[in-house]
Amino acid sequence: MTGEAERMAPIAARVHLAHAVVQKLAENHGIDLLHLKGPAVLPGLRAEGRHSSDVDVLVRPGHLFRLIGALESVGWEQRTTFATGSVFAHAANWWHDDWGWVDVHVSWPGVTLDAEDAFDVLARGAVQRSIAHRDCPVPGRTAQRLILVLHSARSGGTADVDLAWEQAAPEEQDHVRRLAAELGADVALAAGIGELELHRNDPTYALWHHFVHGGSRWHEWRARMAAAQGARAKAELLTSAMRVNRDHLRMELGRPPTRQEVRARQVKRVRRAVGELSERVRRS
Amino acid sequence: MTRFRIADDVAWVSQEDLDGGDVPTAYLTRLPGGPPILLEGSGCVVWLALSEGGTMEEIIAAAAAMSDSTVEEISADVAELVDQLVAIRVVAED
Repeated sequence: MTGEAERMAPIAARVHLAHAVVQKLAENHGIDLLHLKGPAVLPGLRAEGRHSSDVDVLVRPGHLFRLIGALESVGWEQRTTFATGSVFAHAANWWHDDWGWVDVHVSWPGVTLDAEDAFDVLARGAVQRSIAHRDCPVPGRTAQRLILVLHSARSGGTADVDLAWEQAAPEEQDHVRRLAAELGADVALAAGIGELELHRNDPTYALWHHFVHGGSRWHEWRARMAAAQGARAKAELLTSAMRVNRDHLRMELGRPPTRQEVRARQVKRVRRAVGELSERVRRS
Repeated sequence: MTRFRIADDVAWVSQEDLDGGDVPTAYLTRLPGGPPILLEGSGCVVWLALSEGGTMEEIIAAAAAMSDSTVEEISADVAELVDQLVAIRVVAED
C-alpha cells in the first residue's frame, strides 16, 4: 500500500471513485440523483479510451440542499455558484483535494420543462451502471443519447454526436426526438443534429446558433437577451452582464481574488465590451 | 474456516477498468469518507484474488495462479497483506 501516492491517483481513477463516493452519499441521505457523462455513459455511446476529468450528476432539484450538505460533510468545497457556473445557471462546482471536481446539475442545458418534472422524465428509464464496482443510477440509453447531443450543441459540437446520434438506428432517433419534445428540448436537439434552421422563429434560436457557430460576446449577450423570458429575466441578465464572475476569477488565479483584481477585471470587461461595440458600429 | 472478501463499503477500480498501463494497479477507498489507497504490482494481484472472495488458502492459490508463482513462494506475503487490508477495514472476514 502506498502512502504519498494515495493523493496522486490518476484522474480517471479519481473520477470513477468519486462517482462511487457521491452515490454512497446519495444513498445515505435519501437523495435522488443520476450520474452523467464519463464512466456513467452506457457502452457504445462513448468512444473507447475517453475519460472525463470531473464527475457530473443531475440531482432532483428538491434534494439539492441535502446533496450540498452531504458533499460538504466529507470535504467538498463549493467553488462556483449556480448563478456563476454557466449561462444556463444550471450547475455549480465543488472541489475535493482527493476526488477532484463534482459538477452538480439541477437541470440540463436545452431542457425547458420544469426542472423537477424533467428529473422525473429522465429518471423514468434509469438503469444501474457499475462504476468502481458500485451500482450507480444512470439515465437510460435514449436519455443518454439526448443528453450527449445537447451537451455537444452547448459545447459547439463534439465527437459525441457521431455515436449518440449519427450511428443510432432511425427508430432510436425517433425515441430521442420524442423524449426531446417531452422535455421541451426540441430546439437544443435541433442545434445538436444540424436542424437548427427549422427553428428560426424560436426565441432561443440565436443563443443556440451562437453555441454551435460561435461569435463575439456581444452576439452572445444579444442572444441571451432574446432567449430570456420576461422583463425580470431580461433585467437580471443586464445587471449580470458587466459583473465580474468572482468564482471563475478564483479558479483562474487558484485563490480568492483581491478587491483590486476584481476591479481590474471589471475594467477589462467593460473595455472589451466597448471595443466590440465600436467595432460593430464601424462595420455598420 | 474464515473467508475473506472485499468489504461492503469499498469502491475500487483496477487499471483494466481504466485502459491503463501494464503494471497491475488498483485504486480503492472506503465510502464515503475514506482516503484513496493504491495497490500496485503484487498488492493489486492479491486484491484481484480477494475480489472473488475465499479462504486464505484459496486467495493464495488464486494470487499464485495470476502471478505465475508457487503457493510456497507467496503464501507468507499474501497472508500478511490480507491481514493489513483487514486491519484497515477494506477487507471483511466472514
